[in-house]
Amino acid sequence: MASTGFSDIIRKSPFGPIKAHMEVSKNITEELINFLESAVNSDWNKATESRKVISQLENEADVLKAETRGLLTKSLFLAVPREDILDLIRLADDIPNTVKDISGLMIGRQMEIPAEIATSFMLFAKESASITNAAGEAVDHIDELVQFSFGGNAADKMQDLIAKLDLLENKNDQTEVTLRAELFAIEKDLPPVNVMFLYDIINKIGELSDRSQQVGHRISLIASR
Amino acid sequence: METIAIYGPYLLISACMFGFFMAWGIGANDVANAMGTSVGARALTLAQAILVACVFEFAGAYLAGGEVTSTIRKGIIDPSLLSGSPDLLVFGMMSSLLAAGTWLLIASYRGWPVSTTHSIVGAIVGFAAVGISVNAVSWTKVTTIVSSWVVSPLIAGTIAFLLFKSVQALILNTAEPFKNAKRFVPFYIFLVGFVISGVTLLKGLKHVGLELSFQESMIYSVLIGILIAILGSLFLRRVKDEDQERGDVVFNGVERVFAVLMVFTACSMAFAHGSNDVANAVGPLAAIVSVVQSGGEIASKSVMPWWILFLGGAGIVAGLAMLGYKVIETVGRNITELTPSRGFAAELAAATTVVLASGTGLPISTTHTLVGAVLGVGLARGISAIDLGVVGRVVISWVVTLPIGAGLSILFFFIFKNIFS
Repeated sequence: MASTGFSDIIRKSPFGPIKAHMEVSKNITEELINFLESAVNSDWNKATESRKVISQLENEADVLKAETRGLLTKSLFLAVPREDILDLIRLADDIPNTVKDISGLMIGRQMEIPAEIATSFMLFAKESASITNAAGEAVDHIDELVQFSFGGNAADKMQDLIAKLDLLENKNDQTEVTLRAELFAIEKDLPPVNVMFLYDIINKIGELSDRSQQVGHRISLIASR
Repeated sequence: METIAIYGPYLLISACMFGFFMAWGIGANDVANAMGTSVGARALTLAQAILVACVFEFAGAYLAGGEVTSTIRKGIIDPSLLSGSPDLLVFGMMSSLLAAGTWLLIASYRGWPVSTTHSIVGAIVGFAAVGISVNAVSWTKVTTIVSSWVVSPLIAGTIAFLLFKSVQALILNTAEPFKNAKRFVPFYIFLVGFVISGVTLLKGLKHVGLELSFQESMIYSVLIGILIAILGSLFLRRVKDEDQERGDVVFNGVERVFAVLMVFTACSMAFAHGSNDVANAVGPLAAIVSVVQSGGEIASKSVMPWWILFLGGAGIVAGLAMLGYKVIETVGRNITELTPSRGFAAELAAATTVVLASGTGLPISTTHTLVGAVLGVGLARGISAIDLGVVGRVVISWVVTLPIGAGLSILFFFIFKNIFS
């Protein structure tokens, strides 16, 4: 005798795979830092290793994204608007994709990072990774938000996390300005095509920070409703 | 008349077997929905759930199952119209039992969600309207019953919504949820004890030799509520504010406080289920027994023998012990998302509604009431995802069950009639 169908009414929470996805994003940005360090040192063997790990993690993220979408069938009645969750996973999935782009572009062109900007460049990337981390922390609390019904302690904690996220993003913006200025100062001495791609990489890392920040804000929106 | 005189004992024995089989089926299948919530929320282990279900299903059936049984037995059909042909009533009730039993067997084999209540009511209305006459059915009563099927999930949903909103306001959305949980949960436990004993006592326990006035009932209910709340507080003392893993689920301190509460609501749910659903099996049986024992007279005033409720209770327990644990396990595994703070609200709301219906003698479906309650918690944003598609399927199966139960019972009715005359 099978079950009487009652238990199928309550569906698995979509937040589980979203959390797992964000965990992958945290790992992939960490790996990006390893990758960039190898690239700055022109150690392309090590960079290739890192690139493999990044590709693998990006695949994992895609699987989790698909799983989340699979859980969100149209007939679902959710505690949080379906569009918000879909939007969240779309934003969150840009993180691993961007990381993969950065590593792919750099390894394909064996891009050298000029020694003059290396310090600022690494600082910029590391700050960006820490923003992803902070966003991940916010995502981790989403379960707690539902558990405590979007109020009380959990909601306050969430607002604190978002404030921290904004602070990190501000600092990161300033680092970006410095980095761009440093690159501008030396750009005429470098091959123009290389410079073009360097700016492109900087843009992409900036995108990484933006996306992480947007993920955090999307969650605070979900929480405040 | 002669048919009953000749075949009386055989009819009686087979009716008892059918009735027991139905009760067995209810125990094997239906109870799972009532108990699965607690097992899913890890408030009870499987073994504890079986024990609770056995004790409280039986108590509910025996102490509070009388009203619904009498509705099924003589509320849906007007017995006075059948005084000339008591054998028809016996055949009809036997067909109803057989029809509902067959349909439940098919449906649960295929994994369709069906309701015992709807199949038995459909079956009785079916044989009476087609096999006897349309006037033999007490349509006002049937209308009341059918509208109660719409109203009961609504009431349960509303109660669940309000209960969960109160939990949010008093406990979850506060700065110190754990402290407040410990403070307020005893009141909810009191509510469980008060509501269940209140309804049961108000309705009277004449058949166990207890007759109480309204005031007496109220006083006793309050006392029982307080007693149970004190008992619960003793359990609550042991709960510390730390996370605990149970199976693959991690519960924080707050949820663990609610897990204690859920033990009590699980008991009330089993009691409510026993009080309402056992009638589906023993109601028709009671009708047959009263006709056969009085030698063919349809004495609508005769008192129902106590052993009939006992038989029903025993059947449920047997089904539960033989197969029910498996279904409870399946249901429980699938609804782990319903944490104790949500599960309690759904269970208490459903139990309250069902016990109220039992008190007024209305046969309603426990599962559908529970579905309504779960939706109520969902509306209060307590559950992250509810599948409305499945809810729709449940509702459809509930409607479809009526004509199928009726058709089958009409078929069996004419077969019986031809065999015996």
